[in-house]
Amino acid sequence: MYKFPSEEWANAYFEKLNGNADYKDSARDWEGDITLIINADETMKEDAYLYLDLYHGICRKYIFTNDLNKIPKSEFTYSGKFGNWKKLINGEVDPIKGILTGKFKLKGSMAKIMRYTKAAKLMVNTASQVPSVF
Amino acid sequence: MWFFRSPSIIYGEDSISYLNDIPQRRIAILTDGNIVRAGLVQKVRHELPEDAKVLIIDDVPVEPTLSYVSSIKGKIDQFKPDLIMGLGGGSCMDCAKAAFVTYEKPGLDMHDITPLINLDLRKKARIILIPTTSGTGSECSWAAVISEDDHGRKNEFASPEIIADFAILDPVMVSSLPEMVRKSTAIDALTHAIEARSSAWKNPYSDIFADKAVELITSNLMDAIADNENVDAITNVHIGASMAGLAFSNSQITLAHSLGHSLGAHFNIPHGISVGIFLPHVIRFNYSQAKSEYSAINKKFPKSLRKKYLHLTVENFLKQLSMPMTIADLKIPKNEYEKKMDSMASLALESTGTVLNPRDAGRSELEMLFKEIE
Repeated sequence: MYKFPSEEWANAYFEKLNGNADYKDSARDWEGDITLIINADETMKEDAYLYLDLYHGICRKYIFTNDLNKIPKSEFTYSGKFGNWKKLINGEVDPIKGILTGKFKLKGSMAKIMRYTKAAKLMVNTASQVPSVF
Repeated sequence: MWFFRSPSIIYGEDSISYLNDIPQRRIAILTDGNIVRAGLVQKVRHELPEDAKVLIIDDVPVEPTLSYVSSIKGKIDQFKPDLIMGLGGGSCMDCAKAAFVTYEKPGLDMHDITPLINLDLRKKARIILIPTTSGTGSECSWAAVISEDDHGRKNEFASPEIIADFAILDPVMVSSLPEMVRKSTAIDALTHAIEARSSAWKNPYSDIFADKAVELITSNLMDAIADNENVDAITNVHIGASMAGLAFSNSQITLAHSLGHSLGAHFNIPHGISVGIFLPHVIRFNYSQAKSEYSAINKKFPKSLRKKYLHLTVENFLKQLSMPMTIADLKIPKNEYEKKMDSMASLALESTGTVLNPRDAGRSELEMLFKEIE
């Protein structure tokens, strides 16, 4: 089991995402990095950042940190409170519905990301496959 | 937390007379040449307040493009409407939604019409939609299909803010539809309802509209086709199609639309035909994941059409309507179809309908479904 969010969880996610053939296929033309931002709430004291360099269905690199200055500026950010991330990883919240209901915020070119909703869904599904404790 | 969204709907015989008392006085009507020739623009103009100024844009293409929407912006800006009206089939209504956004928000990239961005509309005008076919459901939906100029990709722009303020469902607007148009648009509506009922975002509101839509369409379509003067049957199909629009707009479509959009884009097949051809195959593919939903819908078909399973019922219905069932029926050469398989699967993979399908589908499943209509 890996504590979410943590370096160990990020590494396990990185491995699983790169082993997901469906993700690889659905993101085969994708070029762009994204930072997942886990905002502090009453149960988690400090913001956490998971930077993912995604290119043609592969995650080339990840950085996990609590310090925003340690990650490159990314094309997209997807942010939400820790409690909502927990629900997302447990499959209780749909990632797009999460945005539409204000639980998550997405920044970046919407036109680009709307063409890759299948890949986005598979990224979330992959997170759900990482054995997680919160 | 979730939402149910709908325009105010005015329906039934003589509902077009609602236009007599609207408060707006500068009305931009987006329509096409066929609607003008059918006398429907004149009918609408006749119902508008006498002192209303009207701008008619009557060259909306069958597949409106980004550049077309940009090309009419100057005329609309100059006219300064306080009401934008889409009068026609899905193309005219979708074009009206896009024109409404570009009028309200000059400088906005149309690709930014997504549910993820707050557009803050309705500072200058309202939007009213009057369908002249019974199928697309665009009058009730918060989506607009606008094609790219260069390669025919169909953008599915969506935002809850582009839903119409008013929709008028008057049977007189659809009484003289050609038989094939009535059939194919009704099949589009039926597909909306069945997909809404089984989508990953289905909910109690969409369920109830989907069920009633299936009942109204399947019980009345044959009568509406047989007799252009059967106002009850025509009205019921028209309302059913609109309910199907409400159903999918509040839950989303699934795989038959992903596959159909892709087939339509590659071989220029009318929308209702291209989605309908996949419907029984998608139902069979999804069956294990949507058993109770499909079983509930099956019961909404008239007994005379009903088979044991929904995909068989739908197949039977399509056959009775003499709808195309294979690529041979569509006159698509097999080798050309196979050559485009990878490209069709890629486009279908991009669709949100694939993501919201009750059963996961990757490239191999999509290709399998494409092969089923060979």
